[in-house]
Amino acid sequence: MLFNSLTFVVFFTVVVTAYWSMRSWTTRKNLLVVASYIFYGAWNPPFAALLFSTTAMDFWLGARIARAKGSHARRIWLIASVCMNLSMLGFFKYGNFLLENFQWLMARIGILYQPPHLDILLPVGISFYTFHSLSYTLDVYRGVMQPTKSLRDFVLAVSFFPQLVAGPIVRAGDFLPQLLAPPKPQTGRFLWGLALMTLGLFEKVVLADTLLAGSADRIFSYDGPLIALDSWMGVIAFAGQIFFDFAGYSTCAIGAALCLGFHLKDNFRFPYAAIGFSDFWRRWHISLSTFLRDYLYFPLGGNRVGWIRAAINLVIVMFLGGLWHGAAWTFVVWGLLHGFYLVIEHALKAFFGDKAWTDTFAVKVLLGLVTYFAVCLAWVFFRASDFTTATRMLRGMFGGHAHADAILSTREMLQIGTVTFFMILAHWSLRDISIEQAVERLPRWLVTTAWAVMACAIILTQGSSNAFIYFQF
Amino acid sequence: MPSSTSSSEFIRAIPRLPWRGITVVIVVLVFAAAAAWELYVRSIGYGPTLNPTDDLWAQRRRAVKPESVVIIGDSRGWFDLDLGELEKGLGKRPVQLAMGGGCAYPVLADLANDERFHGTIICSVVPRLFFAPPGSPPMDRSGKSVRRSHTETWAQRASQYLAIPLEENMAFLKQDDLTTEALLEELPIPDRPNAQVPPAGPPYFGTIDRERRARMIERCAQPGKLQSKIQQRWLRLFNPPPPPSFIPLEAFLATMQKAQEDRFLDTMKAVEKLRARGGKIVFVRFPVSGELKTLEDKLSPRAQLWEPLLKRTGVTGIYFEDYPELASFVCPEWSHLSAGDSVEFSKRLIPHLRAALQL
Repeated sequence: MLFNSLTFVVFFTVVVTAYWSMRSWTTRKNLLVVASYIFYGAWNPPFAALLFSTTAMDFWLGARIARAKGSHARRIWLIASVCMNLSMLGFFKYGNFLLENFQWLMARIGILYQPPHLDILLPVGISFYTFHSLSYTLDVYRGVMQPTKSLRDFVLAVSFFPQLVAGPIVRAGDFLPQLLAPPKPQTGRFLWGLALMTLGLFEKVVLADTLLAGSADRIFSYDGPLIALDSWMGVIAFAGQIFFDFAGYSTCAIGAALCLGFHLKDNFRFPYAAIGFSDFWRRWHISLSTFLRDYLYFPLGGNRVGWIRAAINLVIVMFLGGLWHGAAWTFVVWGLLHGFYLVIEHALKAFFGDKAWTDTFAVKVLLGLVTYFAVCLAWVFFRASDFTTATRMLRGMFGGHAHADAILSTREMLQIGTVTFFMILAHWSLRDISIEQAVERLPRWLVTTAWAVMACAIILTQGSSNAFIYFQF
Repeated sequence: MPSSTSSSEFIRAIPRLPWRGITVVIVVLVFAAAAAWELYVRSIGYGPTLNPTDDLWAQRRRAVKPESVVIIGDSRGWFDLDLGELEKGLGKRPVQLAMGGGCAYPVLADLANDERFHGTIICSVVPRLFFAPPGSPPMDRSGKSVRRSHTETWAQRASQYLAIPLEENMAFLKQDDLTTEALLEELPIPDRPNAQVPPAGPPYFGTIDRERRARMIERCAQPGKLQSKIQQRWLRLFNPPPPPSFIPLEAFLATMQKAQEDRFLDTMKAVEKLRARGGKIVFVRFPVSGELKTLEDKLSPRAQLWEPLLKRTGVTGIYFEDYPELASFVCPEWSHLSAGDSVEFSKRLIPHLRAALQL
């Protein structure tokens, strides 16, 4: 079920009304479990059973880890959980990718092997809920939290519908404590939740789908050479589209959770105002970057193991981060590019970090621009369906085609330019504060007008219920 | 160690604002704006209609029974046929699966591959759309609808059912014409002289109902600004785009030739499959008028595609020009019949359909 669909409007209205009319906390939690499974099952009912089975398995494994005597036994149970989750992910998401690469490898050594193509349907949001669930056994193993005794609470923590299919990746340790006592109804929290949902839908339906997606799709699906202007416009359009699409989903999720009295952490903090790549990853898909930091980068030794190992660790983490997004080498290259960006940044910081001139406004703006354009370059690999497309795009961006075409209309370019200008302006204006602080500082009439305009724009735009980009991950 | 039985430390800040008052003002503003917009669009000629979505198409595809009469193809088969008249003449109410700017082939293949279907197909043929190569907009449009009918989720079905009463009562819920995107497309902003921008589609000129029966609105049937605007759009849309600059012309023409030949072969296979189960099919060339007819006759002469299509598939065809009672109709905007004429045309077409289908 998509947030930007009529079904969700009815579903959410019914769930919220029923939820706040019930007195018993247990009944309300049961309602949320049922609602979450309906939300997920409305896409493909059998996969709800898969979701439940992996959740139940992690619940059981979490208890075994906590009860195990000795670190060896604890580790065995943890490995069982990691293997179970990753093999599920591996089969559904990477099955064909692994087979194709194995076939390629065999061909290199002269063995002709024709693997069967597995007709696998990818369960929507599997990368997200696998990580929700995995965070639980990892945290129990690390001693960060004790296991919950309630299977129902754990099922709800993994499947809570606002964040189930496209994040944020909410750790069980952050969510389970919220299930201990019922939240009290608060008008301000509920209405702020609705305001965030409006903002999220506006980002998705109006900015991403209507003003940017069409141009980005046309540029990236064009088979011929493009002139530099159109190539850059396509990439910049995609940079905006993916931000508004994903941040829009996260904002909706946070808003929907608030309407039900739950608090989810930010997943985005104005990333296109990042100065440097470490800063970018503190602002972009925060729930994934902190997940990878805590459960992968730190256990690998982080930056306490000498600069060469630290650099290797960064590249490994970003390699896997890229692969997490999709079963294609283009995603891996995207991840690796970010890994190299981070390594270069660390090296530059070691050389120039203490120089006073690096702290001036002009240098910060320059570094911000460099960061934005480097991030855009990496998006080429993220968006391109294959390396041929990516290479053609990069050549086009740097004027490498002798006879190239222009395919965007002036209107499309104006849309891309206007949305990108205001997006970057907003990110820079708000880079050091939260959305809540920003809203609180605005005059009431402006908050009212902005909210009303966004609601009207969503109604006017209508849209055709396009899926969020991150659903495929 | 923090436990799952301790309370959460993270609480989102809520901006301190008078949310209740703000919400009341917003609800009033949004309702007022929506009502004003609705009144405005009605005043300029829009009326409530269902949107031709993939979900509505999928709903009708599900309505196809093993022995149904099904209309497939482009917008001429969509606008020019009256389901009531066809029901009277053929004994069964047809299921309308033709679509605007769509290629018939993906739907024909889908029905041919549907083992339970052994009914009758009335297939509208506009050569430029029927022989559209893979990856072209007509193929994508039809392919997308067919895919949706196979992969539609319960949530998507529910959204379609919920949308119907809204769209039947509100004129501004017109996805083709009154969305932000469509309104922006109409802005008179000149393009770069060398930019290969695809031509815009026609503005609103028809309504559709729950059975997907399309009818031309009266304002389009009468001479005027709207009618001439649509005529000019058809000319741009039906003029083929220049061949791509990045492929040698010979190679491009060879690819197009191969795509055309493949379409012949694929259609023959689909027809054979359908007939093997006892199914029937008839190709129909619907009326076209004015400069658009001249253009179509020039770009795809009858002898080049229509005649070979009938010959190679062995399917009977009805070409409107061959029968005076069908050739006398004039399409107001050159491509489709008015709502009134579509009823009369359907009546006159029935004997030809019965003969072609040996009913």
